[in-house]
Amino acid sequence: MSALSHHVVIGSGIAGAQAVATLRARDPDARVTMITLSALHCYKRYDLPRIFRGCRDWRELLAQPPSYYDDQRITVRRATKVANVDTSRGMIQLSHNEEIRFDTLLVASGCRGHLPEELADYKDLIHRFSTFQDAMTVARALPEGGRVIMLGGDMLGLDLARTLIDTGHRVTLIAGEHTFWPHPVTVEQRDRLMGVLHDMGIEVVDGETVGGGIAAIEAGPPGMPARRVVFRDGGDRYGDIVMSFFGLVPSVEFMLGAGLDIERGILVNPSLRTTDERIYAAGDVCQIWSDQERSYRFFYGWKNVRAMGDIAARNMTGAAEAFVPAQDEGLAITPEGQIHSPFWEYE
Amino acid sequence: MLGELPVRPEGVEASTRRAQPVVVSEDPRDVAWVRQNIPCQTACPAGTNVPAYIHQIMERKYGRSYETNREANVLPGVLGRVCSRPCENACRHGWAGNGEPVAICHLKRVAADMKDAAHRITEQLYAPTGKRVAIVGAGPAGVAAAHDLSLFGHDVVIFEREERPGGMLRYGIPVFRLPRDVLEVELHNALRLGVQLKTGVSIGSGPNEVRVSALLQEYDAVLLATGCMAATRLPLRGAWEGREPTDELRDVEYGLDFLMQMHRGERKRVGRRVAVVGAGFTALDCARVAVRLGAAEATIHIRTAEEYIPVTHEEIFEAKREGVRIKGLRTPVGLRTDENDRLTGVEFCQNRLGGWRAGGRRLAIPIEGSEFVEHCDTLIIAIGQQTVNQYLDVKPEIDRGGYVRIADNGMTSVPNLFAAGDFVKGATTAVEAVGHGRRIAQRIDTWLMGWTRRREAVRIAPVAAPLRSRSFDFIPRQAMPVAALNERVRKSELEVETGLDEPVASEEAKRCYLCDLRYEIDVDRCIYCRACIEVAPRNCIKLIKGVEPGAAAGYDKLVETAEWNQVAAIWIDNNECIRCGQCFTACPVRCISISRCELVQVDV
Repeated sequence: MSALSHHVVIGSGIAGAQAVATLRARDPDARVTMITLSALHCYKRYDLPRIFRGCRDWRELLAQPPSYYDDQRITVRRATKVANVDTSRGMIQLSHNEEIRFDTLLVASGCRGHLPEELADYKDLIHRFSTFQDAMTVARALPEGGRVIMLGGDMLGLDLARTLIDTGHRVTLIAGEHTFWPHPVTVEQRDRLMGVLHDMGIEVVDGETVGGGIAAIEAGPPGMPARRVVFRDGGDRYGDIVMSFFGLVPSVEFMLGAGLDIERGILVNPSLRTTDERIYAAGDVCQIWSDQERSYRFFYGWKNVRAMGDIAARNMTGAAEAFVPAQDEGLAITPEGQIHSPFWEYE
Repeated sequence: MLGELPVRPEGVEASTRRAQPVVVSEDPRDVAWVRQNIPCQTACPAGTNVPAYIHQIMERKYGRSYETNREANVLPGVLGRVCSRPCENACRHGWAGNGEPVAICHLKRVAADMKDAAHRITEQLYAPTGKRVAIVGAGPAGVAAAHDLSLFGHDVVIFEREERPGGMLRYGIPVFRLPRDVLEVELHNALRLGVQLKTGVSIGSGPNEVRVSALLQEYDAVLLATGCMAATRLPLRGAWEGREPTDELRDVEYGLDFLMQMHRGERKRVGRRVAVVGAGFTALDCARVAVRLGAAEATIHIRTAEEYIPVTHEEIFEAKREGVRIKGLRTPVGLRTDENDRLTGVEFCQNRLGGWRAGGRRLAIPIEGSEFVEHCDTLIIAIGQQTVNQYLDVKPEIDRGGYVRIADNGMTSVPNLFAAGDFVKGATTAVEAVGHGRRIAQRIDTWLMGWTRRREAVRIAPVAAPLRSRSFDFIPRQAMPVAALNERVRKSELEVETGLDEPVASEEAKRCYLCDLRYEIDVDRCIYCRACIEVAPRNCIKLIKGVEPGAAAGYDKLVETAEWNQVAAIWIDNNECIRCGQCFTACPVRCISISRCELVQVDV
């Protein structure tokens, strides 16, 4: 690539971090810029449950020390919001009206926790767990031995649940269609998996058997735990905090004016290229065309995401490689009676 | 509250600025300025003077605001609830870097809801002409045209097939989105100027039907405004190719029929798992009605993606809150049934996105070999609507799309026969129908009278001081309050959006940039001190060496320069300007003036 090339990566998660490393390695003279909403450098989001094991210093979670980016001549624009991408001019417009020109762009802006629209009224009473700041807020709000009411129960949530149980907290799971997301599970598997969760010490409430779900979430009355979840059949549960784990939704809002193909995520071909030949997407934000399945689909898990960051960066610098899933997606129960998910295996 | 109205800076008196008279200009450059600089009004198919009515709300003059709306659109309370809001898509506040568009539609409703109960309607009546006009169809286009034609002094008779007027507004939109009392009042007001309404009258060639040819003989002009009242058929393939599923399966029906039958009073039923195919308001309405009728699952299947469907984000959000799910990139290709001819599922094929269609929509391209089945027990088809021409016993020229062709004067190829609204344009929106009905009414009047009686002009009035404060720019868009979810299901006709209250409406109104204000620098008095540039929040005040006419007769091409020896003027770029008034306040020699530029209709 030309020494004048400017590669820009939006997002500082696993895909973005891998991409800037690959870009630097393959195009030593180019300008490489990473733009991120996060105030922190790339950190291990999968390790956030460690906060409940006492790891509360953000530096321990960083994927690379800050000096790494200086050494690699990678410009990191932290706490910076992208407002729009003007593909006709090759410009990224930031929310403070600054514009950044790009030659190639990788969108690796990731996902955020999905809160179902029917719970939107209660969002101020629900804790999220997407960022380090979210995790610290939860850790501060949750007393020792306190109870978490977990709504949904996707695999990120269940990963946190097992840490919470290990650290002496209590967890009530309000299960529903998003439990075990993104794994597809059959009815038979689901019953067995619920049994395992119960054996792990999680109180499992089937959302369908309590009148079809949640009627309200309220602040608890004085002298009671801080939150009350009311079910449609009139029953309720008290907890110190309520957390939502209903899967992820891609963060693509800033790309809506760019003219790219977007369904839920940004649609890319197997080379991770969007409908604009200068723009690629990687990680949880993209839906990749699958020739086998004849459809666009998401691939989750840190190995997949890292592989996408690498492939996208390689293709941005002249390669023509297709993404191949780097991990299986099966959910199983081990002979020891424990849940085994590839999404829980991370470095 | 974020800020109050700005106070005039100390020592600055409006009277010391150059006095300007109110002028009415027909100069095309002024008209072009309005078209370019008031994007909401330009985008509104009815041409509503949005900044004016929002400013009147800011002043808590709700009745006047309602009347400002009514000058362009006789159904403000209706469209304040169901408009597709092209104005908000164009709003300068929604441009990149400016935040979210003003809630223009919600404010329209505020004007309607908060005006006095004894509000006096203002109408500008012409003397009776003795001309008689028949209008076929009492939908939004027909009603808007009837109102304007009656103002022009013509005797108008509307023929409506249904028992009640309103067309799709009454029979196609659920009550939870449009309460019928609001519709009734505004229809009554629109038609009370002597319009004769004949409902339950079918136009056609049958024994008890009125023929269009007979109307043409009896009236000076006949306007067809029958909309798009036939559902678009669903093209299936395989075993279902060429068959009409609604003829064979009781679990399949068209969304238009579903809603119309319900609003005529029929009791509708749906299964537990309802699939809706389609991507417009009708599809969304059908799914939301299905939830209220007890469906455990209501899923809308769309060919492209949620981002590209012509429905407001708020409607999608509320539908999802009610439990409606939306699944994209799929085209229905077949049906699955059991041995009793009961529907068990819909077969789809996967799509990929193709190119762009008009209006920001996308093409969908089916992928061969990607078929899959979604299980359901009710299918509602809402993929579009078409005109019905069979009732005509005259033969106007029809275009390739099946729509009647009209000339510039609104007339079809049949003398004295005019057409308006969706019947001409295909299925659009209520506001487009109102706007088109209004335009065709004016053309009919011109044709009937032999000359144009009203013409567009720009009223330019001086404004003493800025009407906004910079702090208004930081007010977030105010959310529309909605009814509780459990209440919506319990009372299926409960209006979902409950309306902004007065303090919230006032805050939202402050957000409007008031783009009808034109800020100008008097170059003869400017001392080039740059004070205005220093305080400008955006790149809105420019050093220029020239101004060139643009394509639309306006001065819209500023030739900027960074060289002082080339500067011919300091110029306010009204396209970038957010009317904050900072420059006006900062100017030490008071050479910046403000004028309000409004499109008005003047008598010729």
